[in-house]
Amino acid sequence: MGIGAVGSTKHKVVDIRHIVKRFPGILALSDVSFDLYPGELHCIVGENGAGKSTLIKILSGALVPDDGELIIGGQRYGYLTPYSAQSLGINAIYQENILAPDLTVAENMFLGREKCSRFGFFSYRESLRCAKEILASYDVTLEVDQLVAELQPAERQLLKIIKAIESKPKILIMDEPTTTFDIERIEKLLKIIENVKKTGMGIVYISHHLEEIVRIADRVTVLKDGRIVACHDSVEEEVTMDLLSNEMVGRPIDKFYFIGKRPIGKVILEISKLHVVGSSNTVDLDLREGEILGVAGMVGSGRSEIIRAIFGADRRVAGRVVIRGRQIPANKPGASIKSGLGLLTEDRKTSGLFLNRTVRENISIVGLKRFARPLLSSRQEKRLVGSFIQRLDIKTPSFDQEVGYLSGGNQQKVVLAKWLFRDVDILLFDEPTVGIDVNTKTEIYKLMSEFVSKRKAIIIVSSEMPELVSLCDRVVVIKKGGISAVLAGAQITEQNILFNSVGGRR
Amino acid sequence: MRSSSRANGEVDRSTGTALRLLKAKRLFKSQPFIILLVIIFLSIVIPFFNPVFLTFRNFQMVLQQSSVTGIASLCMVLLMISGGLDFSIGSIISLTCVIVAKLVEREMSAAAAVLIGLTVATACGAVNGLIIAKSKCPPIIITLGMLYVYYGIALNIAQGRFLNLFGKFEVLGSSAVLFIPFPIVVWIVMVLLMIVVLRYTKFGRRLFAMGSNEEAAFLAGITIDLNKIIAYTLNGLIAGIAAVVLISRLGSVIANVGADYALRALSAAVIGGVSFEGGRGTVIGAVLGVVLLGIVYNAMNILGITAYFQNIVLGIIVVSAVVFSNLGKVKR
Repeated sequence: MGIGAVGSTKHKVVDIRHIVKRFPGILALSDVSFDLYPGELHCIVGENGAGKSTLIKILSGALVPDDGELIIGGQRYGYLTPYSAQSLGINAIYQENILAPDLTVAENMFLGREKCSRFGFFSYRESLRCAKEILASYDVTLEVDQLVAELQPAERQLLKIIKAIESKPKILIMDEPTTTFDIERIEKLLKIIENVKKTGMGIVYISHHLEEIVRIADRVTVLKDGRIVACHDSVEEEVTMDLLSNEMVGRPIDKFYFIGKRPIGKVILEISKLHVVGSSNTVDLDLREGEILGVAGMVGSGRSEIIRAIFGADRRVAGRVVIRGRQIPANKPGASIKSGLGLLTEDRKTSGLFLNRTVRENISIVGLKRFARPLLSSRQEKRLVGSFIQRLDIKTPSFDQEVGYLSGGNQQKVVLAKWLFRDVDILLFDEPTVGIDVNTKTEIYKLMSEFVSKRKAIIIVSSEMPELVSLCDRVVVIKKGGISAVLAGAQITEQNILFNSVGGRR
Repeated sequence: MRSSSRANGEVDRSTGTALRLLKAKRLFKSQPFIILLVIIFLSIVIPFFNPVFLTFRNFQMVLQQSSVTGIASLCMVLLMISGGLDFSIGSIISLTCVIVAKLVEREMSAAAAVLIGLTVATACGAVNGLIIAKSKCPPIIITLGMLYVYYGIALNIAQGRFLNLFGKFEVLGSSAVLFIPFPIVVWIVMVLLMIVVLRYTKFGRRLFAMGSNEEAAFLAGITIDLNKIIAYTLNGLIAGIAAVVLISRLGSVIANVGADYALRALSAAVIGGVSFEGGRGTVIGAVLGVVLLGIVYNAMNILGITAYFQNIVLGIIVVSAVVFSNLGKVKR
């Protein structure tokens, strides 16, 4: 560990104390403290939704904490803004793209601090030369005059990291830097990080890949449900993957729901050799009547892509999807719906709802033929839609309220009502309860249970362990686009799901 | 469960009055309603300056003069609701007029010439639709280009001259149903048809859905490309019908005869609350927008305001209408 230990005798560069952050209906961070020394690599691990992102967003000024204080470089702050964080030397590399795709590698490298000639004019030649030098010093091979749009995702990520390091921050935050990397690039990054630490830069490192963490971390903080579970110093103790993954899960019983067990019938959906764009693995699955099948895995593992490909929302490279013996064509949502599939996407606002249209139109859009004679009958529509609004207990002042004005929970109910209105047989449900309050959550679980009891079936993709454990008859765990485990019955535990998602072993 | 059903009962009891209140509030805030108020206001004020304004003849004239714009604005409603746009309808109108005139000049019967004209207009719309749907390019650019293509074809056919219609359409232009002149009749019929299409057909619902959120529409099984092509094709046909109405009021045509109509139709639709963002807008709004423009032009004419000044007023009305409707959004 060497250099980091020497650094730790100096003053802390970051000292966050007793941070509390609430979001509507959820306590995202509860009394969380976190510190960082110069030249130290401090990792944060935790499940999806444990509060990692919230914490680094507070540190980088994107969020304002409800309580607590931040001491940066000896100065006390109640909160930071993105601007003040930057001027304090905090630089965060997020997952989102912050590069300008239509500019070259060199132009991106010096964006905002352009290289100029003697006369104060921008000099592209100078930029190219400096960029080449910098990349060489990191032992990275990239064409400096190539457009960023033409780079591979991994190359872009590498460029982002180098650009961030080159801006010489005091504190560098890396959020899942290696998701797009192959083994070779991961090695390269870890080497770069080793070197950067020697310059005294403090690094906050977030990753799902525990292999990396145990190799490079000086300290590891484990978060669960917004609380700190443990903070390990790798000098004092041996930090193993098993130790970490055990600490990331385990909840009291009242976090779980119980829905009745249903009789499982015959197979209604068969998926064979499904190959999703951008993945190197294929997936085989089957689904039976009355079954709720969970799809688990870390964010970015390719979970959502799989159910989107089943529905035909995205193209698939290869594979067959067969419903009740009939093969459905790829990339034709219309045909999938006719065969009895319904997809509820993760982001209902951007891909599930017509926000400036009414509740009525949103619910009836996939089932227009139910009241087409052949002209649409408003009266019939109101009667039919009304029965669903009542059944799902959707809180809206009228049929003709624009959906954009409803609460998140009621919006989700509208999306669900849309597919129930169409009377589909199989629901593909991506993050059914994200951003939804506890009561509505329970209501949605109840509706799901009712749904499958009618010889129908559901596939849910979820980041919420209790949801998967409580609802599912089987859980498939996805890692790097392929199935790493299929769990059934008593095997479905938080521990098992997590081990198979992050690559730890029991 | 018990608590939720109780909450439900409370909602039911208060639903009646709450609903009526909500509906009233929505109506008063809606742009077509405000445009209607403006129209009524103008109709009360203008006669103080010139009483000619309130005569039946003048009223009829306003509508008659507005009919071509009125029909063309239905094109805009249809497309803008589905998230599209067509700047080339002016050129399609011109091309249709020129083709019909040329055929009549070659002694073809008026009916056959009109039929061919409508076919060409429909085909123009279909071409626009095909390019836009398949290339996924912004319709504003594609139709801007097609504006020049269709105009160029019209110029080639007309060879820069006035094409005489030999009075073959005078019968049509001066005919009337129940004392309502032909152009107005066509306008009314088209308005009613469009209301039915948009409100009472699956196709209409899908257009709103596409315009509101194309991704969600795709995932709801709507075949985006096909519906876009159909919408643009219909748009071409409507532009063709506008051209026929225009011809019925003219003695001869020239290649730029329809040039103004695309922007006027667009202005009217926007004034009537049809949104550029898609998924929002009504046929009635567009009709009221056209009527408002017609009244303002008419008033300026009878009050002796020069044509040079009229464009400024038109511009101010468009800008105020859009700014006004956006103000409401900002407040929310």
